[in-house]
Amino acid sequence: MIALLPDWAGPVAHYMAHQGVKQTLRIAVFAVVGSALVGILLGTLMTIRFPPLRALLRLYVEIWRGLPIVVTIFIVFYALPSAPLIHHRFAAFTGAAVGLTLWGSAQVAEATRGAVQSIPREQHEAASALGFGWVGRHVSVILPQALRRLLPPFVGLLANVIQNTTIASLIGVTEVLSTGQRSTERLAYSTGDSHALAIYAAVAAAFFAISFPLTRLAIFLEKRLV
Amino acid sequence: MAVLASFDWHFIWAHHSEFLAGLRRTFKVAAIGIAGAFLIGVVLGAIRAHRIPVLSQLAAVYVEVIRNTPILVQIFLFYYGLPEFPGHPIRLQPFTVAWLSVMVWGGAFNTENFRAGFEAVPARYREAGLALGFSRLGTFANVTFPIGARIALPSSINTYISVLKNTSLLTAIGYAELTNTAYSLESVTFRSTEVYATLGVMYLVVVWTLSALIRLVESRLALPEER
Repeated sequence: MIALLPDWAGPVAHYMAHQGVKQTLRIAVFAVVGSALVGILLGTLMTIRFPPLRALLRLYVEIWRGLPIVVTIFIVFYALPSAPLIHHRFAAFTGAAVGLTLWGSAQVAEATRGAVQSIPREQHEAASALGFGWVGRHVSVILPQALRRLLPPFVGLLANVIQNTTIASLIGVTEVLSTGQRSTERLAYSTGDSHALAIYAAVAAAFFAISFPLTRLAIFLEKRLV
Repeated sequence: MAVLASFDWHFIWAHHSEFLAGLRRTFKVAAIGIAGAFLIGVVLGAIRAHRIPVLSQLAAVYVEVIRNTPILVQIFLFYYGLPEFPGHPIRLQPFTVAWLSVMVWGGAFNTENFRAGFEAVPARYREAGLALGFSRLGTFANVTFPIGARIALPSSINTYISVLKNTSLLTAIGYAELTNTAYSLESVTFRSTEVYATLGVMYLVVVWTLSALIRLVESRLALPEER
């Protein structure tokens, strides 16, 4: 297998796997965990009938779902550090991970709201009758049932988050697309041939290998759980 | 509002023509991309729904490849990859890559939208069309398309909004659409708060206006039984 590859491919593959793939996975894990935690919390709060809170959460969801992700990441990375009260420069990694989390949490919040509202009233009433308060009722009774319905869209989101980590390359995070780009530039400089087609096709193939099973799984879960 | 005290409103006004020029390019690319995505979606969606051999499988491969790879990688393949095509280098202008990449992406998602729409048209409607003497193409144009396209309307419109938002990624190849315009402006003026606040507000105004318009169109075009 290795013998079939041309000479230039070895060091490039090594660099992309050890630097690029590692950074891609780090951003993806941060964004997925962050989106799940923030999104489930906000989505559950969205079901409370208190108009000011509802309006505020609706605004959060509509802003981060409405903006292109690259714009969100640019705002977090370039504009937020100069905002009053913050005055703190983020690492590019943090900027990308936070930007993706804002977008992902808005998606999860909207899905959670729908899932929580789809749980029949009787479940709320029965839990209240057993003496559960609002928090206990949601944590012990409602959310465990809602999470089952949340699973298919969440697997779909996982595939989307992994694909969207490539946007981090635009602010200089050395994730897999960025390491690929640097490799093409180095090859063009040292050998005169960038091998851009082969390198980007390999990047696309790697994402396909991860994303395709996930989107299939999401469809499968949707059919099974409904 | 000490937070707003240092915000330079005059700066935004002084550069409004640059922002609007960027927005115009975003609209131009999005319009071509959306029109193309509509055509691809109708044709390939019909091929998928009618299970036309070979073409249907090819369309399925196209849909899965596009949906399961990042659009930024697709843009890079068009812009940096095609000129390296062995024996037959293909060099495209940034503008060509711009509309082509968002069109190919939108077309794949739209193929799925229209396939689902056409498949949701009851078979008895098509049988009725054929029984009335319409050809297969005539049945599609007069029965399946008008009903199926309306079933597919909400999901296809979401795809068009995503196409518009995806044009922001063209900043990666230096095409001067809205995001790239803002990025260039910030790198010469260093007014990051003003520039990116304006950029965010402009996208939200466009996306929210489109979503509102769409709900209006949707309720007018929805099938009678769904009203």
